[in-house]
Order: sequence, then C-alpha cells, then structure tokens
Amino acid sequence: MKTPATSTATATGADATAAGPAATRTGGSTKWGRLRKNRWLYALLTPGLVYFLIFKYVPMWGVLLAFQNFSPYHGFWKSEWVGFEHFRVFFTNPEFLMLLRNSLLLSFYNLIFFFPAPIILALLLNEVRVALFKRTIQTLVYVPHFISMVIVASLTYVFLTTEGGLVNELLDQYFGFKISFLTDPAWFRPIIILQTIWKECGFGTIIFLAALAGVDVEQYEAAVIDGANRWQQLWHITLPAIRSTIVILLILRMGDVLDNGFEQIYLMLNPLNREVAEVFDTYVYFMGITQGAFSYSTAVGLFKSVVGIILVLGANWTAKKFGQSGIY
Amino acid sequence: MRRYRTVSGTIFDLSNYLFLSLFALAAVLPFIYVFAGSFASDAELTKRAFFLIPEKFTTAAYAYIFSTNTIVRSIGVSIYVTTVGTLINLFFTVTMAYALSKRYLAGRNFVLNLVVFSMLFGGGMIPTYLVVRELRLLDTYWALMLPGAISAFNLIIVKNFFQELPAELEDAARIDGCSDPGLLWRIVLPLSMPVLATFTLFYAVGHWNNYYSALLYINEPSKWPLQVILRQIVMLSQMAAGDLNAMDPNFEKPPDQAIKLAVIVVGTLPILLVYPFLQKHFAKGVLLGSVKG
Amino acid sequence: MRKAKQWAVILTALLLAVSVLSACGGGKGNNAWGDSGSSGGTQADASGNQTGSTGTDAGTSEDRKEPEPEPPMEISIMLPIFKTNYPSDSSPVVQEINKRANVKLHLEWVPNSSYTDKFNITLASGKLPTIIYVPDVKNPNFVNAVKAGAFWEVGGKMRNYPYLSQANPVIMQNSSIEGKNYGVYRGRALGRNGINYRKDWLENVGLEPPKTIDDFYNMLKAFKEQDPDRNGKDDTYGMVLVKWTGQWASGFDIIKLWFGAPNKWGVVDGKLVPEHETPEYLEALRFMKKLYDEKLINQDFAVYDSAKWNDPVVNGQAGVIVDVTDNAARLDDAIHRALAEEGKDQPDVHFVDNMIGVVGDHGLRALPTSGFAGMLAIPKSSVKTEAELDRVLAFLDKMNEPEMQTLANFGLEGVHYTVEDGYAVRIDDTVKLESEVEGLNQMLPFIPEDQGLKVKQTPLRQKTAELQKEAEQYVVANPAEPFISTVYSQKGQQLDNIINDARIKYIVGQISEEELLKAFETWRRSGGDELVKEMNELYAAANG
Repeated sequence: MKTPATSTATATGADATAAGPAATRTGGSTKWGRLRKNRWLYALLTPGLVYFLIFKYVPMWGVLLAFQNFSPYHGFWKSEWVGFEHFRVFFTNPEFLMLLRNSLLLSFYNLIFFFPAPIILALLLNEVRVALFKRTIQTLVYVPHFISMVIVASLTYVFLTTEGGLVNELLDQYFGFKISFLTDPAWFRPIIILQTIWKECGFGTIIFLAALAGVDVEQYEAAVIDGANRWQQLWHITLPAIRSTIVILLILRMGDVLDNGFEQIYLMLNPLNREVAEVFDTYVYFMGITQGAFSYSTAVGLFKSVVGIILVLGANWTAKKFGQSGIY
Repeated sequence: MRRYRTVSGTIFDLSNYLFLSLFALAAVLPFIYVFAGSFASDAELTKRAFFLIPEKFTTAAYAYIFSTNTIVRSIGVSIYVTTVGTLINLFFTVTMAYALSKRYLAGRNFVLNLVVFSMLFGGGMIPTYLVVRELRLLDTYWALMLPGAISAFNLIIVKNFFQELPAELEDAARIDGCSDPGLLWRIVLPLSMPVLATFTLFYAVGHWNNYYSALLYINEPSKWPLQVILRQIVMLSQMAAGDLNAMDPNFEKPPDQAIKLAVIVVGTLPILLVYPFLQKHFAKGVLLGSVKG
Repeated sequence: MRKAKQWAVILTALLLAVSVLSACGGGKGNNAWGDSGSSGGTQADASGNQTGSTGTDAGTSEDRKEPEPEPPMEISIMLPIFKTNYPSDSSPVVQEINKRANVKLHLEWVPNSSYTDKFNITLASGKLPTIIYVPDVKNPNFVNAVKAGAFWEVGGKMRNYPYLSQANPVIMQNSSIEGKNYGVYRGRALGRNGINYRKDWLENVGLEPPKTIDDFYNMLKAFKEQDPDRNGKDDTYGMVLVKWTGQWASGFDIIKLWFGAPNKWGVVDGKLVPEHETPEYLEALRFMKKLYDEKLINQDFAVYDSAKWNDPVVNGQAGVIVDVTDNAARLDDAIHRALAEEGKDQPDVHFVDNMIGVVGDHGLRALPTSGFAGMLAIPKSSVKTEAELDRVLAFLDKMNEPEMQTLANFGLEGVHYTVEDGYAVRIDDTVKLESEVEGLNQMLPFIPEDQGLKVKQTPLRQKTAELQKEAEQYVVANPAEPFISTVYSQKGQQLDNIINDARIKYIVGQISEEELLKAFETWRRSGGDELVKEMNELYAAANG
C-alpha cells in the first residue's frame, strides 16, 4: 500500500540550506583514537545495525529464490535451480510492455497529481489562524487513511455505477447522459488518482506540517517588518523550509515507481478495463495462484528492486547537483 | 503571526476556509456512513446503499462484538503491541539515526549503503519467517514488534533531520562537557519534538494496521491483534455466494453487514484519537530562541 | 509418540483381528473406485454403488472390538475459521468428541481469508499438524510436496474403513493427483447448481416455472416489463450477474450448458476440445448478449461486487439468480427478514423457488461442482508410522458417523440445540455457539454424505436437498478435471483472461462477434495450442 507521507527535515531559520556540517571531531589523529573518541556514537549505532543484519541481511538469501523453482516443502537447498528462466518468461510475456506501461503511467500520474496534494493542503492549513479550526480540519482529513480499501471501492461503486449510482443519476437528470466510469478504460487512472488523493492526502500532510512547525517565527516577523506580503513570505520563508523534505521524499519515492498498491488496483480491476489497469502487482498475484509462485514473484520483485535502486541513486545524484542534501 | 488586512488577503482566507471545510467534509462522509451503518440493521444496509442516519437505530452489532472475549482481547493485544512496539521503533530508529547523522563518523557511508540497499532488496516472507523461527520468537508478541523495528525510510528522514540541526548547539554543549548520549538526550531530542511526534504516529499507525505479521508468526488465536479479526470479517462478506469453502451444508449466512461496519469503527477509532494528542507538538516556533543570531 | 513401537505391535495385532472379524461380517466392498484411470467422462450415477460394508455395523466404534483401550491419540488439526470466534480445545463439544473418538484434539485455527498464505508457510516451516486441510488440491506447492513424499497416500487405505470406503469414485478421481489420493476429501453436494427465482414474481406475471430456454427468456422479459413486484414503477429487471467469473459462481457457466456446451473441455471424436471452440458455446454467448442488450440483466454486471449478489433480489430489483440452489433458502430468509423489519412478513410463504435448469436441444444438463471442498491431508512428518496413520484414518472415519456429524455440526443436545420433530433447533445464543461449536464441522469429511441431524427443513430446504440429489444424474463433468497441466500453471491465468475479457466485452457490446473469434485465435497463439496438446496427451494416457 502506498503511504506517500513520511519524512522531514526541518530547517531552523539560519540553517535553511541542508548541508550544514555538524562540528567535526578530529580529536585523535590515529584511526583508533578517532574510533575511541566516537565510541558512544558507535554504541548508539549498534542496536540498529544489529537489527538490519539480523532481520534484513540474514534473510537476504531469499533473493536467490528468483533463480529457483522454489517449493516450500523442499526448502532452499533442495529446490530446483532454473537460472534466469523466470526472467525469460517474464520479459518475453506478450503483456510485459503493457504491464510496464500501466505501472509506469500510474506512478507517473501519481507523482504529478498526488504528490503535490499534501503539500498544497499543508500550506493551506498553515495559513489558517484559528487554531481550533485548523486542528479540527487536520483531524478530519486524516480519517480516510484508516478506512479499508474494500469500503472505498464499494462506495466508489455506489457513487459511480451506471445503474443508479448517484453521480450518474445526477448527470442523467440534468444533462441527459451517463458515463461508464467503472468500465471505461479512460476513466480508470483518474479514478485511482482521485481515490488516492482522497484517502492519503490528509495523512500525507502530517510530515509537512511537522516541517512547517519548525520554522522560526521570528523570520516571519522580520519579513513583515521588511514589507513582505503573503506570497513573498510563502516563497522566501515557508517553501524553503520544506524544500529539503520535499526533495528527500521525492528521492525515496523513486524506489517505489513500479509499486502500485495491489489492493486498490485489484478491487477496481475488471475485464473491461484490464488493458490499462493490470500492473505488475496484480499480475504477480494472479500468477501466484496458478503457480504457487514464490520464485516468480521474487523474480519480478527483483526486477522492480533493480529499477528502483537505479532511480533512487539517480534522483539522489540529481538532487546533489542542485545543491540539495539527498540521502547521504 | 503575520499581520495584514488586505482585501485580497481576506478573500483568500475565506475561500481557504471554505475549501478546507468542503475537503474535510468529503473526507469524513464515508466514515460517517460506516459509523451510521454500524448502528443499522442488516436489512436496512441491504436496502440503502449509502446513508448518514439509520432509519432504525440498533446496537446489536456492538453487543455481539463485545459479548465475546475474542474481539475485546484482540483490542488489548493491539494496544499492547502498538505501545511497546512504537517505543521499540523509536529507540532503534533514533539512536541509529543520530549516529548516522554525524558525517565524520568512520564507516557511516558504508552503513548507510547497507540501509538503502535493504530498503529496496529483501529476502521476502519465507526467509524472514525462518529467522523468526530460529530466534524462537514464533507465537510471541516480539515477533510482531522486532522484525519491523526500523523502517529504513523513516530512518533516513530522521537522520536528515538531525543533520539539519545547527552545529553551534552541539559545539556549545560539548564545551560544557556533554557526551554524545547526553547530547542526544538533553539537547537534540527536545528540539526534535515535531519529528518525533510524526514518527511516533507513523510507527503507531503501522503497528495498529498490521495484520500480516500476526498472520505469519502467530498461531495462537488468543494472540491475534484486532486487524486479523477485522480483515477476516471484511473478507468473509466479500465471498461469492457460491464459494464452496464457506458453504457447509448447514451454513446459514455470512456475518451481518452491520457487524462488519462496527468492527471497522472499533478498529479505527482508537488510533484516530491518537493524532489530536500529538498535535500540540506540531505547534509553531518550537525552535524559537534556541539559536541566537 | 514415544511408546510408538509397543503400540504399533498391539495395534497391528488388533487391526488383524478387526479385519478378520469384519471380513466375516460383510462383503468385500472393494469395487467402489474406478481407479484404473477411468476418465470422469459420463459417470451418470455418483453415489449409487453402496458396497457391502455398509451392511456391517458400520456405526460402532472400534472400542467394542478392542479389549483394551489405548490412550487417546493426540491429533492436531489445522483448519480455516470462518467466524471471529472459535471453539477452543477445552470446549465441551471438543471434549465430547475426544471422548467418543478416543483422541485428544488440538485445533489450530487460521482465518480462512489468509489460509493459503499460512498453508504455504507451514509447508516451508516443516512443522505440520497431524491433519492439515488443503484448500486447493492443484496448488503447485502442495503438488510438489506430494511428489516429494510429504503426505501419505490414503486412497487405498480408505477402503478399510466403513465410511471412508463409501467415497464417491468421481470425487476421488477429481481430487486425485496423478491418479492417487493424498488426503480425505471433504464431500460437498455435486449437483448444487441451478436456477433460483422469485416465485411471487412468477405468479404475478402469470407464468409457469420455465421448462425451456425460451420459457426462461420469457420469464426474464416478463420480470422486466410487467412490474412483477407490483409497485407501479419500472424498476425491475430479470437476472443479476456478478463480475466474479471464478469456478463456480458464474451464472454464465451454468447457462452455457443448457445450450449443449461442454464443461470446460468437451470430447469430440475422442479428443479434448476447449469449450469456447464449440458452436454451442458461441450460441450461449449470443444468448447472453441478447439478454444484456434487452436490459434483462444488470448492465453493470462486469463491475458488480459478488458480495452483493443477493441484494437485488432481496430488494425487489431482480428476480433470478443462476447459482447454487441452496442459495434459494438464503434468499428466502433474507427476504423474510427484510419484510419483518417493515412489519409486512408472511412467514409461511416461500418467496423463492429453485430448479435444476431449463432445456434446450440437448436435454437437461447441470453444472456440477467438483464434489469436494478441499482435502484433509496427513503429513508424514507428523504421522510417522502406518499404525499411526491408521489411527488417524480411523478418527476421520469415525467422524462420518451420524452422531459425530451431529455433534460437530450442532454441539451437545440440550446445551446447544434441542430436537423438535426430529430436527435440530439451535439455541439463540450465537456467541455460545460460536465459541463452542461453530467451525468444528470443518473437519468433517461428509463421506458419503451428511447423515446427521438437520435444521428444520422448510419445504424449500427439503426441495433443495432433493433437487441437488436429482441433479446428480444430469451433471456434465469436466473430463479434464483431475489433470494437472504444466502449461496451465505457467500461462493459465493469461489464457483465461483472454477468453474471459473477450466474452465480457462481447456481451456488453464493446467488441463484435468477429473480434471475439479473433480473440479465440489469439488464445490459440498465446499458448492455447500447447495447452490443448498437453491436455490431449494427458487424456490419452488416462484413457488409453
């Protein structure tokens, strides 16, 4: 499931540019001296590192399942090795291009239309001065995140079906025609994006609001004294404050570009819009049913990971070129 | 606080308030339907596709839910796992993020690479399951809290945040003889409240909504968290009428629709209420005065 | 099982004694299985062959024949749970079962919505229970495990037990892997599919229950045009279909049989032919299109959620559902409930009726179910010796006794239900039922069938039971049902999509008949050819 939110780097007034170096510690000139000097930092590092090693790296051998015909009963050592067979089947699948196109386009639209939405909403909320109103709206818009996708799909049907759906009834009454929202391929992507905006926008504002909370109030006062109007304040103070947050979120998002959120698509998919709706995630699911396909889904996952890492590193490099801080 | 009294400013404000109100209304309407539906009868739910106020008010669904131990216990499990789990998350994430935020630390880049790589490449369900099994964590609550102790995504963001804190603060504290952990605890954390609040929320929501881990690692039904039960109910009512698995010769009918909605309400309200409590940490100007000049 | 060896010896001795005694008691009863690979082809009579073993005192437990009681066998069973409450091991009903079957049960409940995942994980973990429910016999993970020797082959052994030996040969065939059975199937009615319709509407429009396809068409038309619910509004249509076109919930798959189309695979000149390549299939499709064009079926069926399938009939929008006939009783109950809310109920009237099907040029043809809902398999890792296996099978066999079936279905008499007029009436306390009884019937194999107490048989339920039995003579089996195809496991999903998408698009008018036929060609090219070839090879091997 895609929850686009998370992240922040807040800026305090003075250090708006991300690259502010922390104090350097070069106390001991020998390597051991330095290590000893930073021993507490290493101590702090250890729990997390151990976690990653145990729960992420020890199971990493699972990636090799992509090169096997894994059968849970046989286990890893006794399952048959098939090399690149799964990849071959995957890439030569006549539907591969369609899946690629659908997955990419959906992510792309998501990026263009959905990604800015929480930012805009956060900025709008930021302009609200009545604290009670602001808090109320914040709480209300964050509710949809918790509503199960099944209900969302069900309500989408209720509103959009041609058989008595509210929207179509209104259209019919006032304009004399109906639109087959749910079966017409042209409407599939817009509906998915609208659903995502509705569901995740509110939750997504949290991270930006946190970033905005860190903006030094004195800056605004100074700006007002200098005669800045609201737009200028927005442009020169508010936006830079969340710029690094936006950048880091974008970079990390790149890793998910071929993930489209299985459940939502699965619920909205039907034989009439399959050619635009079917994406890798649903494809793998259906293959899994007939194949019991651990191996196959691992192979596809591997493909997605490779693409993801390339894009993440690429985005990071690009960000660095523009003077932003990036992941490292 | 910005002071201005322009006409365009006021128009903007009004439209803003209007827009936000409408958006909030659209956001919350379906939940009102779910809430209302949980107090309606099954027959009404079949008849009316969408409504905000039930014609006949009944608490039968809630009576059913709370009359048995199962759901109540699972709520307890969820609360426990969410609370303790989130604390674990925060501990692991914050310590590691702080350490990694120091660019001069030898080995930092290597570890960061490990983290980023693990974010995109993973072994998958079965190997992780085997690790959990080897650690003898199956059927324990730890299995719900440890395998997800750090989200690489969150880690990187928190680390970036720590990197942004002004260096002068650290220098000043060190001159006063503060050690690294002390620095973390006394200076950095208090300044990071919005970020901490944010990730507390994210991790908490993650735990609360997670059913998959319980599915894999917990066999003992008394340890099931609420989401497992919730999903079960929702899925049950999704089944096609002819599904053989469901239809024992004497099977009468799938669970009441109202029960489905009631479980959703019960499953959602607690976590919804967490946010308002954290909101005060999003107040402005937290860093006010901490850095002079 | 620590003292396994000693018990094995004693058991073997006892078994010898038992078999000698039962041999005297009745016939051999061995011919029930056509396991010489007879194809499922035309097996008109399903459970007809009762073997001699029923003549013996089948119902008695082994206790009578064993002079010394053995300790109860500990049996752990992994089963799906369909509710949110479940019976624990200490439930009084479970205790009673333990007592009567001389076992100690440990139930591992898994929410059914995630059963497959849990199943796979359990296979991978190597820690399997004594008996594990297998939802899909053709699941490649299960098949691989079977081929690796993970599970006991029980087909042969089942013949040694009074009830298990009555297993239906067709169903044994359907649930087999390469001709052998690796678990005890959970029997379900074979002839479950048919037509459910609103009787009151039919009367209101002055028609008789349909006999031919044309009658059926007229019924739908009348339902649409003649205001059958008499509410003065033009808001009704004929039949409701859903988007789920899976194995047994597709109205279309039932209807196509009326036109003479085969069930998935037909036999033409001794060879297997996919159903969509028969002219009768096309005719059926055209009929569906006609129904759609004339608005006799819901125009948004392609997106209609199967969870809501019954709603239009209950709400008075549609009048017909072509699906499992036991749905009629559920529909009827729902309609009564809805009316009761408005205070308008007529408790003695049945609003819904059902029938097996209507007739075209090919006689009465019904769509069978596979006859079973998963299997109970016995892993070798947890049941290590044949002696233990025998005990487990004895337990499963015992669970087919009518009293045990009643016990698992309804619970303890007087506590969970009362008997009225020979029928079971459950108590109202659903919570008590759910935490002590409900779900236990998941472990029942129902071989040969459910002979326990039943709920009060309303006329409709009685009719349904008779109908389902009668339908068994008319079922058209899928000759390829027991085959496991490699091509299908790789490309099956896609191939199915091609056909399914095409036929739905054709029905709603998105593509023309020409394009439909072109899609069938694409099917051939995308792997359909290979599939047909492979299936025919399997078919020839099985029937050669």
